[in-house]
Amino acid sequence: MAITFLFCLFLARFFYIQVIWQDDLNARALDQWTREIPISAGRGNIYDTNGELLAGNTAAYSIFARANAVTDAEGGSLLLSEALGLSYDDILGKLTDKSHSEIVVAKRVDKSVVQRIEGAEIAGVYYARDDVRFYPYRQLACQVLGFTSYDGSGSTGLEQYYNNFLAGERGEILFETDLVGVDLDGAAAAYIPATDGMSLTLTLDYRIQSVSEQVMEAALKEYNAKAARAIVLDVTDFSVLSMVNLPSYDLNDIPRDDLSALNRLSRNALVSDVYEPGSTFKIVTAAADIEEYLQGNAAAYAPNRIFSSARTRTVDGTTIRCWSDHANGKHSNQTLAEALNNSCNPCFVDIALSLGKETFYDYLAAFQFGRATGLDFSGEAIGMLLPESTLRDCDFARIGFGQTIAVTPLQLACASAAAVNGGRYYAPRLVKEIVDSDGAVIEQTSPVLLSQPIGEEASEMLTSMLEGVVRDGSGKKAYIEGYRVAGKTGTAQKYEDGRIAQGKYVSSFVGCFPASDPRYLALVIVDEPQGAYYGSTVAAPCAKQIFEGIIDIFDLPPVEE
Amino acid sequence: MTKRRKSEASKGDLIFLAAILVLAAYGVICVWSASYYNAELQYGDSMYFFRKQLIGFLLGTAGMIGISFLPYEKLRRIRIPSLILSLILLALVFVPGLGKSNYGATRWIGFGSFTIQPSEIAKLGFVIFTAGYFAKDPARMRTLKGCIPVLGAGLAICVLIMLEPNMSVTMCVGAIMIGMLFLAGISKKAIAVICIPVLFAVPVLILAEPYRLQRLSAFMDPWASPKDEGYQLIQSLYGLSNGGFFGVGLFNSRQKYRFLPFAESDFILSVIAEETGFFGVTALFLLIGFIVWRGFRIAARSGNIYGFLLAGGITLAFAVQSVLNALVVSGCIPPTGLPLPLVSAGNTSLIVTMTGMGIVYGVSRHTQP
Repeated sequence: MAITFLFCLFLARFFYIQVIWQDDLNARALDQWTREIPISAGRGNIYDTNGELLAGNTAAYSIFARANAVTDAEGGSLLLSEALGLSYDDILGKLTDKSHSEIVVAKRVDKSVVQRIEGAEIAGVYYARDDVRFYPYRQLACQVLGFTSYDGSGSTGLEQYYNNFLAGERGEILFETDLVGVDLDGAAAAYIPATDGMSLTLTLDYRIQSVSEQVMEAALKEYNAKAARAIVLDVTDFSVLSMVNLPSYDLNDIPRDDLSALNRLSRNALVSDVYEPGSTFKIVTAAADIEEYLQGNAAAYAPNRIFSSARTRTVDGTTIRCWSDHANGKHSNQTLAEALNNSCNPCFVDIALSLGKETFYDYLAAFQFGRATGLDFSGEAIGMLLPESTLRDCDFARIGFGQTIAVTPLQLACASAAAVNGGRYYAPRLVKEIVDSDGAVIEQTSPVLLSQPIGEEASEMLTSMLEGVVRDGSGKKAYIEGYRVAGKTGTAQKYEDGRIAQGKYVSSFVGCFPASDPRYLALVIVDEPQGAYYGSTVAAPCAKQIFEGIIDIFDLPPVEE
Repeated sequence: MTKRRKSEASKGDLIFLAAILVLAAYGVICVWSASYYNAELQYGDSMYFFRKQLIGFLLGTAGMIGISFLPYEKLRRIRIPSLILSLILLALVFVPGLGKSNYGATRWIGFGSFTIQPSEIAKLGFVIFTAGYFAKDPARMRTLKGCIPVLGAGLAICVLIMLEPNMSVTMCVGAIMIGMLFLAGISKKAIAVICIPVLFAVPVLILAEPYRLQRLSAFMDPWASPKDEGYQLIQSLYGLSNGGFFGVGLFNSRQKYRFLPFAESDFILSVIAEETGFFGVTALFLLIGFIVWRGFRIAARSGNIYGFLLAGGITLAFAVQSVLNALVVSGCIPPTGLPLPLVSAGNTSLIVTMTGMGIVYGVSRHTQP
């Protein structure tokens, strides 16, 4: 009896371990039975909107040795040292170093070299794919694309933001070994294939990107500027068509030795840095005013209402001056359209103060200022917006014409796009499609409407006023016969340590075309131009050239005679 | 007890004999499978342990058959010499030059490449002594005083083995001693008087040697120290789990590739479980259980107190060792060095166990059917 009972107890215990506990224990045991050589997954490609390759891979290989499996160390070393151009003694050392289960002999070896060695079939030497990232257009959109670290994972830009999609899953070659890593006779190596990464198709058009880079490069040189930037949006759905940050660098030859330079050069300042927008921001103020006027708000300035012609406004005891001296009849008896043409600061002070903080800040919120636009990109700045509750009137008055507020170029471009496209603010995006290695579409992005700060009518009125700015006002240098360009210039003084930095300006222009039904919007920023500094002289011509480039690329017909 | 006995031997329990031979022969194959990789690495000869075990099997078979021809009653005469021989051999372990140390314990005496493990002999010696002692005057069994020589002999053997040190064999001898007293039918009161001090001694002995405490805690949670104390148990469990229902096939153990220490000796059951699976283990247990059952049946049918105690004691020793080994391998008690009798590599154990089984078979031969 007792014996039978004991017997059953034993069997139960063995049954528990061998059958019930089995999976868990086996999973742990598998780890100690095998040694693995990693197979890196092919990283996904990045294409522009037309399918043009922007980031791909060049096939390369890592060479491993497993000393415990090497049979002819001298012969193998001789062959490898000749093929790889490495020291014979070093390689012999690695091929005989039995303290490691496997050791890397060389990384990123060319395919042709590996093919040569592979033919020789050296026992104990293995090859695993170890691709090198390659960017066919070198510096093109370098801050947007970003680069990968030495181990192949994304460090910056889209390479980083979409790393989980691009990276894929590495595979392994598993060797069955004993406790210390000696290969077992007759045990086949198990091959677990890698899963290649997914590919991205961007909204970016490499032709527009290329044209804008050329244009901005010329401006950077002509004005000996510190930086030149541009962003081109499709205003109908907020697809980013181009993002230019100059100076740039070659993605195939990354200056990894100079980290601070690399940080500066690889930064997508359009997204990550803020600046004082100056007069380009008057678009937002004007949009708020027109919408409020249409809504029947008596505090709003009607389009035909005449502003005071005085050069100054006094708010909270501080005096705000127009950049123009208002002498000889300049800036007198202006309507809103004329105030935009002349970029007359006092008029926009009047609008802001008349609408009041509460109303005005509602518009700022609707235009997404003070928050991220939601672009699929890391490190987006939200800008600096003084809190409404503690805002002084003198500061508030200046916000009306784009001072005492800091925004990212992306925020300004998007707000302007929403102001001219009928009042729809979408989340901007860089990637339109993600496709896996088998060609199956994993994700297709579509426009996401974030807000509708103004209505269709207000948008149309504003756009036609902005068209006037290009036709008759400060934006003349962006004028293209027949294509109805609309826009607004901006010239902001730079601050350093809280004081105005003498002679340092940010010249900008934001414009779109055709005004009848806006499609393309460009924001151009030239940072610290030398010689000229007005947005009208420095930035507006750049926008014109970019627009001309777009007209060429798509062979767009003029919209009017 | 006064039954009439035939003077000449009968065929005896041939099925019992066959079962022993099958188990021991299976053991030789298992030792080969479990050891060939290590043997090749250590000795440059993958058959090293196999050959040794085969010799042990042949010698054991000879001893088993040989002793079965001897009327077992004759063993009564050598009860005192067998105890003394056991004690002397155990003591020789401590003689410098003769004692052989391994893994921090001195458990063997050796002459050149030939080594024997006295504790294995002592187990049989103790059974022969006890059976003979009680059979001489069965009245001794009923008083505690009468049991004192048996207790003394057992204690002496235990102390010597403990000094080696070899805790598990000590416990094994203690269990055999109590089991034999039980078989002899001493009073429950006497058993209690003996058992209680033993129960107290266990924690003291565990605390006396720090390594035992470590092993105990490793047993509670082997994954707390997977590289040190917990290692052996984890590796044994991996072997068991890898076997699953039907095993990975004879000679296909993965754990014997230096992962599982003592794969061919104390942990051979783990290799068997890995190669033959739960079904193989069940079959093995059935065979062992069958041997134990047959052994006790022989004892019960011997018709005299001496034959009963002798066959019963030897069977008991076999059963106790098998149980303890299976408990260790399956992680039910902390790992200790104890072979699976008749199966594990180790010639002293194999030859002595087989010889012992020969005595049991002899009892069946000299029993009136």
